[in-house]
Amino acid sequence: MSTPSLGKGDGSSGSVLELREVSKNFGDFKAVDEVSFSLSPGSICGFLGPNGAGKTTTIRMILDIIKPTTGSIRVLGHASALEVRRRLGYLPEEKGLYKKMKTWAVVAYFATLKGLSRRAARQRACELLEKYGLKEFAKKPTEALSKGMSQKVQVLASLVHDPELVILDEPFSGLDPVNQQVMEEIIHDIAGRGRTVLFSTHVMQHAERLCDRIVLLAKGRKIFDGTIAAAKRTFPRRVRIETEDSIAPLEQLGEVAAVRLLTVPNGEAHPNGSQQWELELHEQADPQAVLQACFAQRIRLHSFNQSDPTLHEVFVRLVGTQAKEAS
Amino acid sequence: MRYALLVAWREYAESAKAKGFWISVLLMPAILFLSIQVPILLEQKATPIRHFVLVDQSGAMAGVVNSALEKAQQKRVLEALNAYAMKNATPQPDSAEARRAASSLVEFSEANPQALAAFMSKGGKDYYLKQLAACLKPGAPPFKEPRRPYQQVPLPRGIDTNASLSSLASQLKPYLRGEKTYDVDGEAVGLYVAILIPSDLEKQIVRPRPSGGSESSGEHLGADHQIQYWSTDVTPLKAGYGLSQEIEAAINAEIRRQEYLARGLDSAVVHEVERTYAPFVSLNPKKEAGQEAINSTDVVKQWAPSGFVYLLWLSLFVIIQMLLNNTIEEKSNRIIEVLLSSVTPGELMMGKLMGIAAIGLTMVGAWMVALFGILSWKAGGASEMASQLLVILKATNLIPLFALYFLMGYLMYAAFILSIGSVCNTIKEAQSYMGLLTVVLMVPLMTMTFIPRDPNGPLARILSWIPLYTPFIMMNRAGADPPRLDMIGTFILLLATTALALWMSGKIFRIGVLRTGQPPRIVEMLRWALRKAN
Repeated sequence: MSTPSLGKGDGSSGSVLELREVSKNFGDFKAVDEVSFSLSPGSICGFLGPNGAGKTTTIRMILDIIKPTTGSIRVLGHASALEVRRRLGYLPEEKGLYKKMKTWAVVAYFATLKGLSRRAARQRACELLEKYGLKEFAKKPTEALSKGMSQKVQVLASLVHDPELVILDEPFSGLDPVNQQVMEEIIHDIAGRGRTVLFSTHVMQHAERLCDRIVLLAKGRKIFDGTIAAAKRTFPRRVRIETEDSIAPLEQLGEVAAVRLLTVPNGEAHPNGSQQWELELHEQADPQAVLQACFAQRIRLHSFNQSDPTLHEVFVRLVGTQAKEAS
Repeated sequence: MRYALLVAWREYAESAKAKGFWISVLLMPAILFLSIQVPILLEQKATPIRHFVLVDQSGAMAGVVNSALEKAQQKRVLEALNAYAMKNATPQPDSAEARRAASSLVEFSEANPQALAAFMSKGGKDYYLKQLAACLKPGAPPFKEPRRPYQQVPLPRGIDTNASLSSLASQLKPYLRGEKTYDVDGEAVGLYVAILIPSDLEKQIVRPRPSGGSESSGEHLGADHQIQYWSTDVTPLKAGYGLSQEIEAAINAEIRRQEYLARGLDSAVVHEVERTYAPFVSLNPKKEAGQEAINSTDVVKQWAPSGFVYLLWLSLFVIIQMLLNNTIEEKSNRIIEVLLSSVTPGELMMGKLMGIAAIGLTMVGAWMVALFGILSWKAGGASEMASQLLVILKATNLIPLFALYFLMGYLMYAAFILSIGSVCNTIKEAQSYMGLLTVVLMVPLMTMTFIPRDPNGPLARILSWIPLYTPFIMMNRAGADPPRLDMIGTFILLLATTALALWMSGKIFRIGVLRTGQPPRIVEMLRWALRKAN
């Protein structure tokens, strides 16, 4: 298999994908509003956002299925994805197969549409089906496949030509946990071969495990673009402590922005009379300062827990802020 | 184009695997074969010998009836002999003897109104076969004489031939209705027909009054005093050709002959007069000089295009349905978006159009091969219609015209179907649009039988200029040499309409394929078609 030919001749920026102030209006409705971002070769980028954020519309514009109202898109250095369709793989959110066609034939058909010869397409299709445990279904019509298997076949059909840029729209939707795991492995595989992956999802756990980078969209606008660590840094740091002493002295600390008493699951007080508190810190504040203050004020700690926010929390917060701004 | 061809190939390969396609391919030849073979089989084997009784109380008509039946049988024998000769005689006899024999048979051809009389007077079948022997092809099968369809049997035992007609009729009814059978030469027979001739027939004859005015008859004595033809089968009456007509004509001819004699004319003179006729020929000025006479082949030629209209209608209906299913499948199975990341909507539409066109051409091609195969196989002896059709198909441009109108009709209707298919997510959603299209398509089916009666009349001409109907109506008129203006003008209009429909459909398709939700109204689709590209 050939190695990707990125960089030279593929645009001056060296990016696999570049969007510049792309907008799309449907009548009076602004589905996508001046979105810009770019992808560097070999990266896995999560394209996140709540339902109706404009992810699918943006992806369709990237693929030149629909045209942007304003702005420009360059894919693999070309103005239209159709010019480089052989080097692109796409798995839409709404996906399906020809029910009466044999499984290998469907995969091979999409491979021929991506420029493979009929013979090569057939060979590749059979190889992939064997690799992902579908060999015995290769000669059966796709209507004989279970839902999980048919989704796997759809993914294989979009990857059969070993594309340089793979765009997956909600690849995890409708999959059971086992198949979600398989899907994650497939994405890792693609990136492992130096290909670039852009996938959309609104399930943050997948993004957190897979992505080098996320682009977050809400109401058609980009509200975050960066690494996961950077995303988490936008979220105030928190410290959880458990103590039977008063924490009033901590509330006075400069680092602490807010204090909250956490309820015990069964509603009863801890047997030793202790309580759990969550302290929200100001940006750039160091949790160690809280620990030192506890020692200094002789607050006896049963536990001290300094946790990073989950991407889910970051997402809800960022999207929530956007929603509030918009309303 | 490469991508359109890939799409086309898939459409073709997948549709060719579908059961529906094979049913369509095989059904037409099967129907054609059966429509030729079943009548032959019925005639040869299945039609039972029909038994009839003849009670002639007048004593004057039994011989007349019998000779009429004999004449009808000889007519069948002559027809069968002519067909046998056509199939088994060498077209260009090499020996002088054979040529003389062939020319001696010319007088028995269907074109000669006196052929039957000549045939019977010269010795019938034996004479014919003797003449034919010289120019028969080697290995020709022996001639098989057609069976007599009607056989006279005596009255059931115990029925008095001299009873009144009403009494006879009531006694015979159970046999005629199939409720009873009786024994004739060891075989149980039922009755198909009973012919009862009253004793006072002479008194019942209707004669015009010599002084003019109303007609007179002897005494009006009711049904008992008329010639009665009893049968449960009324179809021969409707067809105007059958036993009752033959008998009625024979009896009346005899009565008129006797009338001539009664009025003092010489029987030889009457016989001569009866055989006097003026040659009459129908001619068509559009036919080649020397061959303008209209024969039964010309009549078939005028009607044969109706068959092609039906094939055209059927084939178009089958394949546009296929096109609709395939277009909607990609939407309902949500394949369309993956496809559109690989091919443009234009390529997809073009591919579908070509793939299904190829399927349609395969189907009608198979039909044409089957048509020629079956006709060639059945032509000659067994089926006169098959021979005539074969001659017509070879001599006219019906088949090229069929192919042309099929393709044009397909492209025009495909434009509508692609538009409908692109905006609908399920077949159910498409049904309301398809209902409308079906109503439009019913018109040529309904006019199919009217057009050949007046192929260049106002109705035919007006409908020809409506592009939606051009392929069907012009096909229907193809046997009647329509004016050049109609041929070329309607074709140009059809071409322009098809091009416009495809162009508009391309725009609707591009917008429609990515749409989900309720299908739009037709007005909205038209708006998409007419607005500038965005």
